[in-house]
Amino acid sequence: MSSIVAKSLSKSYNSVNAVDGIDLNVKSGQVFGFLGPNGAGKSTAIKLLTTLIPPTSGELQILGINAKENPLEIRCRIGVVLQQPSYEPSLSVEKSLEKYGLMWDVPRKTRKERVEELLSDFDLQDIRKKKTEDLSIGQRRRLQVAREFMHDMELLFLDEPTIGLDPSARRKLLDFLKRKVKDGLTIFFTTHVLTEAEYICDKIAIINKGKIIAVDSPDDLKNRFGRKKTIKIHLSKINENLTNLLSEVKDCKIDFTTGSNIIINSDESEAILLQVLQILNSNNITIEDLSAMPTNLEEIFLKVVDESNESNN
Amino acid sequence: MNPIIRLTNRNLTIALNPGFLIWQVIFPLIYIFVAGFAYTSLIAVVPFENMKLNYPAFLSTGMIGFNIMNSTLISGIIIWNDRRHGMFEQILSGPFTRAQYILSNVVTIGIVGLVSAALIAFIAYPVFAESSTFSILTIPIIIFASITGSLLFGSIASIISTRIKSSEGFNVIINTVFLFFAFVSTAFYPASGTPEPLATIFYLNPLTYLVDVVRAGIFGSFTNFVVIEMLVLIGLASSLFIIATKLLTKLDF
Repeated sequence: MSSIVAKSLSKSYNSVNAVDGIDLNVKSGQVFGFLGPNGAGKSTAIKLLTTLIPPTSGELQILGINAKENPLEIRCRIGVVLQQPSYEPSLSVEKSLEKYGLMWDVPRKTRKERVEELLSDFDLQDIRKKKTEDLSIGQRRRLQVAREFMHDMELLFLDEPTIGLDPSARRKLLDFLKRKVKDGLTIFFTTHVLTEAEYICDKIAIINKGKIIAVDSPDDLKNRFGRKKTIKIHLSKINENLTNLLSEVKDCKIDFTTGSNIIINSDESEAILLQVLQILNSNNITIEDLSAMPTNLEEIFLKVVDESNESNN
Repeated sequence: MNPIIRLTNRNLTIALNPGFLIWQVIFPLIYIFVAGFAYTSLIAVVPFENMKLNYPAFLSTGMIGFNIMNSTLISGIIIWNDRRHGMFEQILSGPFTRAQYILSNVVTIGIVGLVSAALIAFIAYPVFAESSTFSILTIPIIIFASITGSLLFGSIASIISTRIKSSEGFNVIINTVFLFFAFVSTAFYPASGTPEPLATIFYLNPLTYLVDVVRAGIFGSFTNFVVIEMLVLIGLASSLFIIATKLLTKLDF
Protein backbone atom coordinates (compact mmCIF):
# COMPACT_ATOMS: atom_id res chain seq x y z
CA MET A 1 0.00 0.00 0.00
CA SER A 2 1.16 3.53 -0.76
CA SER A 3 1.08 6.37 1.77
CA ILE A 4 1.84 9.10 -0.76
CA VAL A 5 0.93 9.10 -4.44
CA ALA A 6 1.68 12.30 -6.36
CA LYS A 7 1.19 12.69 -10.10
CA SER A 8 2.61 15.69 -11.99
CA LEU A 9 2.42 17.77 -8.82
CA SER A 10 3.42 21.41 -9.40
CA LYS A 11 3.54 24.64 -7.46
CA SER A 12 4.37 27.95 -9.10
CA TYR A 13 4.98 31.35 -7.57
CA ASN A 14 4.85 34.25 -10.04
CA SER A 15 5.51 31.88 -12.95
CA VAL A 16 8.52 30.31 -11.20
CA ASN A 17 8.08 26.57 -10.72
CA ALA A 18 9.13 25.78 -7.15
CA VAL A 19 7.90 22.23 -7.64
CA ASP A 20 7.75 21.17 -11.27
CA GLY A 21 5.57 18.17 -12.05
CA ILE A 22 6.90 15.65 -9.54
CA ASP A 23 5.72 12.05 -9.37
CA LEU A 24 6.04 10.20 -6.08
CA ASN A 25 5.01 6.83 -4.77
CA VAL A 26 5.92 6.31 -1.12
CA LYS A 27 5.16 2.83 0.17
CA SER A 28 3.78 2.46 3.69
CA GLY A 29 6.13 1.41 6.48
CA GLN A 30 9.31 2.83 4.98
CA VAL A 31 11.52 5.87 5.42
CA PHE A 32 11.49 7.87 2.21
CA GLY A 33 14.39 10.31 1.95
CA PHE A 34 13.97 13.53 0.02
CA LEU A 35 17.29 15.12 -0.82
CA GLY A 36 18.24 18.18 -2.76
CA PRO A 37 20.43 21.29 -2.68
CA ASN A 38 19.23 24.52 -1.04
CA GLY A 39 16.27 25.99 -2.90
CA ALA A 40 15.64 22.76 -4.82
CA GLY A 41 11.97 22.72 -3.76
CA LYS A 42 12.10 20.32 -0.79
CA SER A 43 10.24 22.51 1.70
CA THR A 44 7.64 23.57 -0.89
CA ALA A 45 7.09 19.89 -1.70
CA ILE A 46 6.57 19.13 2.01
CA LYS A 47 4.08 21.99 2.30
CA LEU A 48 2.20 20.57 -0.68
CA LEU A 49 2.24 17.03 0.70
CA THR A 50 1.05 18.17 4.13
CA THR A 51 -1.76 20.20 2.47
CA LEU A 52 -0.45 23.46 3.95
CA ILE A 53 -0.49 24.97 0.47
CA PRO A 54 -2.59 23.93 -2.53
CA PRO A 55 -0.86 22.71 -5.70
CA THR A 56 -1.00 24.76 -8.91
CA SER A 57 -1.68 21.53 -10.79
CA GLY A 58 -1.39 17.77 -10.45
CA GLU A 59 -2.95 15.08 -8.32
CA LEU A 60 -2.15 14.09 -4.77
CA GLN A 61 -3.35 11.27 -2.57
CA ILE A 62 -2.14 10.95 1.00
CA LEU A 63 -3.08 7.76 2.86
CA GLY A 64 -5.55 7.09 0.09
CA ILE A 65 -7.33 10.44 0.61
CA ASN A 66 -7.63 13.04 -2.12
CA ALA A 67 -5.67 16.08 -0.88
CA LYS A 68 -7.78 18.61 -2.76
CA GLU A 69 -11.07 17.29 -1.44
CA ASN A 70 -10.24 16.35 2.16
CA PRO A 71 -7.11 18.17 3.38
CA LEU A 72 -8.33 18.26 7.00
CA GLU A 73 -8.90 14.50 7.07
CA ILE A 74 -5.31 14.04 5.91
CA ARG A 75 -3.92 16.46 8.50
CA CYS A 76 -5.74 14.56 11.25
CA ARG A 77 -3.76 11.42 10.34
CA ILE A 78 -0.28 12.79 9.73
CA GLY A 79 2.45 14.42 11.81
CA VAL A 80 4.58 17.30 10.62
CA VAL A 81 7.88 18.66 11.89
CA LEU A 82 8.65 21.65 9.74
CA GLN A 83 12.10 23.00 9.03
CA GLN A 84 11.52 26.27 10.88
CA PRO A 85 11.47 26.13 14.67
CA SER A 86 8.03 26.20 16.27
CA TYR A 87 7.48 26.56 20.00
CA GLU A 88 5.41 28.23 22.69
CA PRO A 89 7.98 30.50 24.36
CA SER A 90 6.09 30.96 27.63
CA LEU A 91 5.50 27.26 28.29
CA SER A 92 7.83 24.81 30.01
CA VAL A 93 9.06 21.71 28.15
CA GLU A 94 6.55 19.37 29.83
CA LYS A 95 3.70 21.86 29.51
CA SER A 96 4.48 22.25 25.80
CA LEU A 97 4.20 18.49 25.32
CA GLU A 98 1.04 18.32 27.40
CA LYS A 99 -0.69 21.20 25.59
CA TYR A 100 0.29 19.82 22.20
CA GLY A 101 -1.30 16.50 23.16
CA LEU A 102 -4.44 18.36 24.23
CA MET A 103 -4.54 20.20 20.91
CA TRP A 104 -4.58 16.78 19.23
CA ASP A 105 -7.38 15.63 21.55
CA VAL A 106 -5.26 12.96 23.22
CA PRO A 107 -7.02 11.74 26.40
CA ARG A 108 -5.59 13.13 29.65
CA LYS A 109 -4.27 9.77 30.94
CA THR A 110 -2.52 8.97 27.64
CA ARG A 111 -1.10 12.51 27.56
CA LYS A 112 0.46 12.08 30.97
CA GLU A 113 2.02 8.74 30.04
CA ARG A 114 3.34 10.01 26.70
CA VAL A 115 4.87 13.12 28.26
CA GLU A 116 6.93 10.93 30.60
CA GLU A 117 7.92 8.53 27.80
CA LEU A 118 8.99 11.31 25.46
CA LEU A 119 10.86 13.24 28.15
CA SER A 120 12.86 10.06 28.63
CA ASP A 121 13.24 9.08 24.95
CA PHE A 122 14.45 12.53 23.98
CA ASP A 123 16.61 13.21 27.08
CA LEU A 124 14.47 16.11 28.19
CA GLN A 125 13.93 15.14 31.86
CA ASP A 126 16.56 17.51 33.21
CA ILE A 127 15.01 20.47 31.45
CA ARG A 128 11.35 19.52 31.84
CA LYS A 129 10.57 22.65 33.90
CA LYS A 130 12.61 24.99 31.73
CA LYS A 131 10.74 27.47 29.54
CA THR A 132 11.13 26.74 25.85
CA GLU A 133 12.35 30.29 25.17
CA ASP A 134 15.35 29.52 27.41
CA LEU A 135 16.35 26.31 25.60
CA SER A 136 19.31 25.92 23.26
CA ILE A 137 18.65 25.41 19.55
CA GLY A 138 19.31 21.66 19.84
CA GLN A 139 17.09 21.23 22.92
CA ARG A 140 14.30 23.15 21.21
CA ARG A 141 14.61 20.98 18.10
CA ARG A 142 14.48 17.82 20.22
CA LEU A 143 11.33 19.10 21.88
CA GLN A 144 9.81 19.98 18.51
CA VAL A 145 10.34 16.46 17.21
CA ALA A 146 9.30 14.82 20.51
CA ARG A 147 6.10 16.88 20.60
CA GLU A 148 4.92 15.32 17.34
CA PHE A 149 4.91 11.89 18.96
CA MET A 150 2.32 13.04 21.51
CA HIS A 151 -0.36 12.03 19.01
CA ASP A 152 -0.93 8.92 16.91
CA MET A 153 -0.21 9.15 13.21
CA GLU A 154 0.28 6.95 10.18
CA LEU A 155 2.63 9.20 8.24
CA LEU A 156 5.23 11.62 9.57
CA PHE A 157 6.88 14.42 7.61
CA LEU A 158 10.26 15.45 8.97
CA ASP A 159 11.86 18.47 7.31
CA GLU A 160 15.52 18.43 8.34
CA PRO A 161 14.77 17.23 11.89
CA THR A 162 18.40 16.93 12.98
CA ILE A 163 19.33 20.60 12.46
CA GLY A 164 21.19 21.79 15.54
CA LEU A 165 21.54 18.34 17.12
CA ASP A 166 24.89 17.03 18.32
CA PRO A 167 26.06 13.68 16.84
CA SER A 168 24.87 11.67 19.83
CA ALA A 169 21.40 13.25 19.89
CA ARG A 170 21.23 12.83 16.12
CA ARG A 171 21.98 9.12 16.31
CA LYS A 172 19.48 8.65 19.17
CA LEU A 173 16.79 10.38 17.14
CA LEU A 174 17.49 8.28 14.04
CA ASP A 175 17.37 5.07 16.10
CA PHE A 176 14.11 6.23 17.72
CA LEU A 177 12.66 6.84 14.25
CA LYS A 178 13.81 3.41 13.08
CA ARG A 179 11.94 1.81 15.99
CA LYS A 180 8.78 3.74 15.08
CA VAL A 181 9.06 2.59 11.45
CA LYS A 182 9.30 -1.01 12.68
CA ASP A 183 6.00 -0.38 14.49
CA GLY A 184 4.40 0.60 11.17
CA LEU A 185 5.00 4.34 10.83
CA THR A 186 5.85 5.78 7.40
CA ILE A 187 8.35 8.66 7.38
CA PHE A 188 9.00 11.26 4.71
CA PHE A 189 12.42 12.62 5.62
CA THR A 190 14.41 15.52 4.20
CA THR A 191 17.99 16.18 5.20
CA HIS A 192 21.24 17.73 4.05
CA VAL A 193 23.28 15.17 5.97
CA LEU A 194 23.68 12.37 3.47
CA THR A 195 25.15 9.90 5.92
CA GLU A 196 21.85 10.23 7.81
CA ALA A 197 19.87 9.47 4.68
CA GLU A 198 22.07 6.47 4.03
CA TYR A 199 21.58 5.29 7.63
CA ILE A 200 17.82 5.59 7.83
CA CYS A 201 16.22 5.70 4.38
CA ASP A 202 14.79 2.74 2.50
CA LYS A 203 14.32 4.80 -0.62
CA ILE A 204 15.67 8.16 -1.70
CA ALA A 205 14.48 10.78 -4.17
CA ILE A 206 16.82 13.55 -5.30
CA ILE A 207 15.16 16.82 -6.28
CA ASN A 208 16.82 19.68 -8.15
CA LYS A 209 15.22 22.85 -9.47
CA GLY A 210 11.77 21.51 -8.61
CA LYS A 211 12.18 18.26 -10.54
CA ILE A 212 12.90 14.77 -9.23
CA ILE A 213 16.07 13.62 -10.94
CA ALA A 214 16.58 10.22 -9.30
CA VAL A 215 14.56 7.81 -7.14
CA ASP A 216 15.90 4.53 -5.80
CA SER A 217 17.14 2.71 -2.74
CA PRO A 218 20.53 3.96 -1.44
CA ASP A 219 22.25 0.76 -2.69
CA ASP A 220 20.67 0.92 -6.14
CA LEU A 221 21.58 4.60 -6.43
CA LYS A 222 25.19 3.64 -5.68
CA ASN A 223 25.09 0.89 -8.28
CA ARG A 224 23.53 3.17 -10.88
CA PHE A 225 25.62 6.28 -10.33
CA GLY A 226 28.59 5.11 -8.30
CA ARG A 227 30.65 3.09 -10.81
CA LYS A 228 33.64 5.31 -10.23
CA LYS A 229 35.67 3.89 -7.34
CA THR A 230 38.60 5.35 -5.47
CA ILE A 231 41.60 3.17 -4.52
CA LYS A 232 44.45 4.49 -2.45
CA ILE A 233 47.95 2.93 -2.40
CA HIS A 234 50.36 4.08 0.29
CA LEU A 235 54.04 3.36 -0.43
CA SER A 236 56.60 2.69 2.29
CA LYS A 237 58.93 5.43 1.04
CA ILE A 238 59.01 8.23 -1.49
CA ASN A 239 60.19 7.15 -4.91
CA GLU A 240 61.43 10.07 -7.03
CA ASN A 241 60.97 8.13 -10.26
CA LEU A 242 57.30 7.37 -9.57
CA THR A 243 55.90 10.17 -11.75
CA ASN A 244 57.78 8.85 -14.78
CA LEU A 245 56.83 5.24 -14.07
CA LEU A 246 53.10 5.99 -13.89
CA SER A 247 52.98 8.65 -16.59
CA GLU A 248 51.28 6.30 -19.05
CA VAL A 249 48.57 5.15 -16.59
CA LYS A 250 45.29 7.10 -16.91
CA ASP A 251 43.10 8.23 -13.96
CA CYS A 252 45.99 7.81 -11.58
CA LYS A 253 47.35 10.61 -9.40
CA ILE A 254 50.41 10.79 -7.19
CA ASP A 255 50.10 12.69 -3.92
CA PHE A 256 53.36 13.42 -2.08
CA THR A 257 51.85 15.72 0.54
CA THR A 258 50.86 12.97 2.96
CA GLY A 259 53.77 10.63 2.32
CA SER A 260 53.80 8.79 -0.97
CA ASN A 261 50.25 8.04 -2.07
CA ILE A 262 48.89 6.86 -5.38
CA ILE A 263 45.19 7.57 -5.89
CA ILE A 264 43.19 5.79 -8.56
CA ASN A 265 39.78 7.24 -9.35
CA SER A 266 38.09 5.67 -12.33
CA ASP A 267 35.17 3.65 -13.70
CA GLU A 268 37.78 0.92 -14.29
CA SER A 269 39.64 1.16 -11.00
CA GLU A 270 40.30 -2.59 -10.71
CA ALA A 271 42.00 -2.81 -14.14
CA ILE A 272 44.10 0.26 -13.44
CA LEU A 273 45.04 -1.15 -10.03
CA LEU A 274 46.44 -4.30 -11.67
CA GLN A 275 48.44 -2.15 -14.09
CA VAL A 276 49.88 -0.02 -11.27
CA LEU A 277 50.70 -3.08 -9.13
CA GLN A 278 52.65 -4.63 -12.02
CA ILE A 279 54.68 -1.43 -12.48
CA LEU A 280 55.40 -1.18 -8.75
CA ASN A 281 56.37 -4.86 -8.55
CA SER A 282 58.67 -4.76 -11.53
CA ASN A 283 60.46 -1.73 -10.01
CA ASN A 284 60.71 -3.29 -6.51
CA ILE A 285 58.60 -0.59 -4.90
CA THR A 286 57.02 -1.80 -1.66
CA ILE A 287 53.44 -1.10 -0.73
CA GLU A 288 52.68 -0.27 2.91
CA ASP A 289 48.92 -0.03 2.68
CA LEU A 290 46.16 -0.36 0.12
CA SER A 291 42.55 0.72 0.62
CA ALA A 292 39.41 1.01 -1.46
CA MET A 293 37.01 3.79 -0.49
CA PRO A 294 33.36 2.82 -0.80
CA THR A 295 31.17 5.04 -2.93
CA ASN A 296 29.07 7.17 -0.64
CA LEU A 297 25.76 8.87 -1.15
CA GLU A 298 27.38 12.28 -1.04
CA GLU A 299 29.37 11.62 -4.20
CA ILE A 300 26.29 10.27 -5.92
CA PHE A 301 24.25 13.25 -4.80
CA LEU A 302 26.86 15.69 -6.13
CA LYS A 303 27.18 13.76 -9.37
CA VAL A 304 23.43 13.53 -10.01
CA VAL A 305 22.85 17.19 -9.16
CA ASP A 306 25.81 18.31 -11.32
CA GLU A 307 24.58 16.25 -14.25
CA SER A 308 21.09 17.69 -13.84
CA ASN A 309 22.47 21.26 -13.74
CA GLU A 310 24.60 20.61 -16.84
CA SER A 311 21.66 19.19 -18.79
CA ASN A 312 19.53 22.20 -17.75
CA ASN A 313 22.22 24.59 -18.95
CA MET B 1 -13.41 17.87 22.42
CA ASN B 2 -14.30 20.48 19.82
CA PRO B 3 -11.23 21.83 17.95
CA ILE B 4 -12.19 25.45 18.77
CA ILE B 5 -12.36 24.65 22.50
CA ARG B 6 -8.97 22.89 22.30
CA LEU B 7 -7.39 25.88 20.58
CA THR B 8 -9.07 28.32 22.99
CA ASN B 9 -7.68 26.34 25.91
CA ARG B 10 -4.22 26.60 24.36
CA ASN B 11 -4.66 30.34 23.64
CA LEU B 12 -5.69 31.07 27.23
CA THR B 13 -2.75 29.06 28.59
CA ILE B 14 -0.14 30.86 26.52
CA ALA B 15 -1.67 34.36 26.73
CA LEU B 16 -2.67 34.65 30.37
CA ASN B 17 0.69 35.03 32.03
CA PRO B 18 0.91 36.62 35.49
CA GLY B 19 2.35 39.86 34.07
CA PHE B 20 -0.61 40.34 31.75
CA LEU B 21 -3.14 39.60 34.49
CA ILE B 22 -1.52 41.99 36.96
CA TRP B 23 -1.36 44.71 34.32
CA GLN B 24 -5.01 44.11 33.44
CA VAL B 25 -6.08 44.71 37.05
CA ILE B 26 -3.53 47.17 38.43
CA PHE B 27 -3.64 49.58 35.50
CA PRO B 28 -7.39 50.39 35.68
CA LEU B 29 -7.34 50.37 39.47
CA ILE B 30 -4.70 53.12 39.50
CA TYR B 31 -6.86 55.14 37.13
CA ILE B 32 -10.02 54.66 39.18
CA PHE B 33 -8.68 54.96 42.72
CA VAL B 34 -5.77 57.36 42.17
CA ALA B 35 -6.58 59.53 39.15
CA GLY B 36 -10.35 59.30 39.70
CA PHE B 37 -10.26 60.59 43.26
CA ALA B 38 -7.32 62.96 42.72
CA TYR B 39 -9.20 64.79 39.95
CA THR B 40 -12.31 65.39 42.12
CA SER B 41 -10.76 68.63 43.35
CA LEU B 42 -10.71 69.84 39.70
CA ILE B 43 -13.87 68.12 38.42
CA ALA B 44 -16.76 68.39 40.84
CA VAL B 45 -19.43 66.73 38.69
CA VAL B 46 -19.63 65.30 35.19
CA PRO B 47 -22.86 65.80 33.24
CA PHE B 48 -24.12 62.52 31.76
CA GLU B 49 -27.51 62.41 30.03
CA ASN B 50 -29.84 63.94 32.63
CA MET B 51 -27.62 63.00 35.56
CA LYS B 52 -24.72 64.58 37.36
CA LEU B 53 -22.07 61.97 38.19
CA ASN B 54 -19.04 62.33 40.39
CA TYR B 55 -15.79 61.91 38.46
CA PRO B 56 -14.72 58.54 40.00
CA ALA B 57 -18.13 57.04 39.04
CA PHE B 58 -17.83 58.42 35.50
CA LEU B 59 -14.22 57.25 35.13
CA SER B 60 -14.73 53.77 36.61
CA THR B 61 -17.48 52.98 34.09
CA GLY B 62 -15.21 54.28 31.33
CA MET B 63 -12.48 51.98 32.60
CA ILE B 64 -14.70 48.94 31.98
CA GLY B 65 -14.75 49.75 28.27
CA PHE B 66 -11.09 50.69 28.36
CA ASN B 67 -10.22 47.35 29.94
CA ILE B 68 -12.25 45.40 27.38
CA MET B 69 -10.24 47.14 24.66
CA ASN B 70 -6.91 46.50 26.38
CA SER B 71 -7.63 42.83 27.00
CA THR B 72 -8.23 42.24 23.29
CA LEU B 73 -4.61 43.09 22.65
CA ILE B 74 -3.95 39.42 23.37
CA SER B 75 -5.63 38.51 20.10
CA GLY B 76 -2.98 40.41 18.16
CA ILE B 77 -0.25 39.13 20.47
CA ILE B 78 -1.32 35.49 19.99
CA ILE B 79 -1.37 35.78 16.19
CA TRP B 80 1.87 37.74 16.04
CA ASN B 81 3.65 35.31 18.39
CA ASP B 82 2.29 32.30 16.52
CA ARG B 83 3.72 33.66 13.29
CA ARG B 84 7.02 34.64 14.88
CA HIS B 85 7.54 31.34 16.69
CA GLY B 86 6.32 29.07 13.88
CA MET B 87 3.15 27.95 15.68
CA PHE B 88 0.80 29.41 13.06
CA GLU B 89 2.17 27.02 10.44
CA GLN B 90 2.44 24.16 12.94
CA ILE B 91 -1.18 24.50 14.08
CA LEU B 92 -2.47 24.68 10.54
CA SER B 93 -0.46 21.62 9.54
CA GLY B 94 -2.40 19.80 12.27
CA PRO B 95 -6.07 18.94 12.75
CA PHE B 96 -7.35 22.53 12.43
CA THR B 97 -8.71 24.79 9.71
CA ARG B 98 -7.99 28.51 9.41
CA ALA B 99 -11.63 29.21 10.30
CA GLN B 100 -11.20 27.25 13.55
CA TYR B 101 -7.99 29.13 14.32
CA ILE B 102 -9.74 32.47 13.79
CA LEU B 103 -12.84 31.46 15.76
CA SER B 104 -10.71 30.23 18.66
CA ASN B 105 -9.16 33.70 18.81
CA VAL B 106 -12.63 35.25 18.86
CA VAL B 107 -13.71 32.97 21.69
CA THR B 108 -10.48 33.71 23.57
CA ILE B 109 -10.88 37.48 23.39
CA GLY B 110 -14.60 37.17 24.14
CA ILE B 111 -13.79 35.28 27.35
CA VAL B 112 -10.97 37.64 28.32
CA GLY B 113 -13.12 40.70 27.50
CA LEU B 114 -16.06 39.43 29.57
CA VAL B 115 -13.89 38.48 32.52
CA SER B 116 -12.08 41.84 32.37
CA ALA B 117 -15.35 43.75 32.27
CA ALA B 118 -16.77 41.71 35.14
CA LEU B 119 -13.61 42.11 37.18
CA ILE B 120 -13.46 45.89 36.86
CA ALA B 121 -17.22 46.22 37.38
CA PHE B 122 -16.90 44.17 40.57
CA ILE B 123 -13.89 46.08 41.94
CA ALA B 124 -15.24 49.51 40.97
CA TYR B 125 -18.80 48.79 42.08
CA PRO B 126 -18.51 50.77 45.36
CA VAL B 127 -17.38 53.77 43.31
CA PHE B 128 -20.35 53.90 40.92
CA ALA B 129 -22.95 52.05 43.03
CA GLU B 130 -24.60 55.27 44.27
CA SER B 131 -25.44 56.50 40.76
CA SER B 132 -26.12 53.15 39.13
CA THR B 133 -29.60 52.10 38.12
CA PHE B 134 -29.79 48.39 37.54
CA SER B 135 -32.52 47.20 35.26
CA ILE B 136 -33.33 44.06 33.33
CA LEU B 137 -31.18 45.45 30.50
CA THR B 138 -28.05 46.23 32.52
CA ILE B 139 -26.36 42.83 32.43
CA PRO B 140 -27.32 41.99 28.78
CA ILE B 141 -26.05 45.41 27.66
CA ILE B 142 -22.72 44.97 29.45
CA ILE B 143 -22.37 41.46 28.00
CA PHE B 144 -23.24 42.84 24.54
CA ALA B 145 -20.64 45.60 24.94
CA SER B 146 -17.99 43.15 26.15
CA ILE B 147 -18.47 40.74 23.27
CA THR B 148 -18.91 43.31 20.51
CA GLY B 149 -16.05 45.43 21.86
CA SER B 150 -13.80 42.37 22.11
CA LEU B 151 -14.60 41.38 18.55
CA LEU B 152 -14.04 44.91 17.29
CA PHE B 153 -10.75 45.66 19.01
CA GLY B 154 -9.59 42.05 18.69
CA SER B 155 -10.06 42.37 14.93
CA ILE B 156 -8.05 45.61 14.87
CA ALA B 157 -5.22 43.94 16.83
CA SER B 158 -5.40 40.92 14.49
CA ILE B 159 -5.25 43.11 11.37
CA ILE B 160 -2.14 44.87 12.73
CA SER B 161 -0.54 41.53 13.63
CA THR B 162 -1.01 40.18 10.11
CA ARG B 163 0.57 43.23 8.50
CA ILE B 164 3.56 43.92 10.75
CA LYS B 165 6.54 41.56 10.87
CA SER B 166 9.03 43.17 13.28
CA SER B 167 8.42 43.10 17.03
CA GLU B 168 9.38 46.78 17.35
CA GLY B 169 6.96 47.77 14.59
CA PHE B 170 4.17 45.68 16.08
CA ASN B 171 4.62 47.16 19.58
CA VAL B 172 4.93 50.77 18.38
CA ILE B 173 1.88 50.58 16.11
CA ILE B 174 -0.38 48.67 18.47
CA ASN B 175 0.49 50.95 21.41
CA THR B 176 0.03 54.11 19.34
CA VAL B 177 -3.33 52.98 17.96
CA PHE B 178 -4.63 51.87 21.35
CA LEU B 179 -3.29 55.04 23.05
CA PHE B 180 -5.21 57.10 20.51
CA PHE B 181 -8.35 55.05 21.13
CA ALA B 182 -7.99 55.43 24.91
CA PHE B 183 -7.45 59.17 25.14
CA VAL B 184 -9.49 60.41 22.19
CA SER B 185 -12.66 58.88 23.57
CA THR B 186 -15.25 59.43 26.28
CA ALA B 187 -13.54 56.90 28.59
CA PHE B 188 -11.84 59.67 30.61
CA TYR B 189 -13.99 62.74 29.90
CA PRO B 190 -17.42 63.51 28.39
CA ALA B 191 -17.76 64.62 24.77
CA SER B 192 -20.15 67.41 25.70
CA GLY B 193 -18.17 70.53 26.53
CA THR B 194 -15.03 69.26 24.79
CA PRO B 195 -13.80 71.82 22.21
CA GLU B 196 -14.28 71.11 18.51
CA PRO B 197 -12.99 69.31 16.50
CA LEU B 198 -12.04 67.05 19.42
CA ALA B 199 -15.68 66.35 20.35
CA THR B 200 -16.40 65.20 16.78
CA ILE B 201 -13.21 63.13 16.65
CA PHE B 202 -14.40 61.35 19.80
CA TYR B 203 -17.24 59.92 17.73
CA LEU B 204 -14.88 58.63 15.08
CA ASN B 205 -13.47 56.36 17.76
CA PRO B 206 -15.17 53.01 18.44
CA LEU B 207 -14.12 53.09 22.11
CA THR B 208 -16.46 56.06 22.60
CA TYR B 209 -19.41 53.95 21.44
CA LEU B 210 -18.33 51.03 23.59
CA VAL B 211 -17.94 53.18 26.71
CA ASP B 212 -21.25 54.99 26.06
CA VAL B 213 -23.08 51.65 25.81
CA VAL B 214 -21.47 50.37 29.04
CA ARG B 215 -22.46 53.59 30.85
CA ALA B 216 -26.00 53.39 29.45
CA GLY B 217 -26.27 49.90 30.92
CA ILE B 218 -24.91 50.86 34.32
CA PHE B 219 -26.66 54.23 34.74
CA GLY B 220 -29.92 53.15 33.10
CA SER B 221 -29.85 55.84 30.37
CA PHE B 222 -30.96 53.69 27.48
CA THR B 223 -31.78 56.31 24.79
CA ASN B 224 -32.32 56.11 21.03
CA PHE B 225 -28.79 57.41 20.53
CA VAL B 226 -27.44 54.45 22.52
CA VAL B 227 -29.34 52.09 20.19
CA ILE B 228 -27.64 53.80 17.23
CA GLU B 229 -24.28 53.44 19.00
CA MET B 230 -24.96 49.73 19.51
CA LEU B 231 -25.76 49.35 15.81
CA VAL B 232 -22.56 51.22 14.90
CA LEU B 233 -20.62 48.85 17.16
CA ILE B 234 -22.19 45.81 15.49
CA GLY B 235 -21.49 47.20 12.01
CA LEU B 236 -17.89 48.12 12.79
CA ALA B 237 -17.15 44.86 14.62
CA SER B 238 -18.59 42.77 11.77
CA SER B 239 -16.72 44.70 9.06
CA LEU B 240 -13.40 44.61 10.90
CA PHE B 241 -13.86 40.92 11.71
CA ILE B 242 -14.43 40.13 8.04
CA ILE B 243 -11.29 42.11 7.07
CA ALA B 244 -9.23 40.37 9.79
CA THR B 245 -10.50 36.96 8.68
CA LYS B 246 -9.69 37.69 5.02
CA LEU B 247 -6.19 38.85 5.91
CA LEU B 248 -5.59 35.79 8.07
CA THR B 249 -6.92 33.51 5.36
CA LYS B 250 -4.58 35.06 2.81
CA LEU B 251 -1.59 34.87 5.13
CA ASP B 252 1.00 32.81 3.27
CA PHE B 253 3.38 30.24 4.68
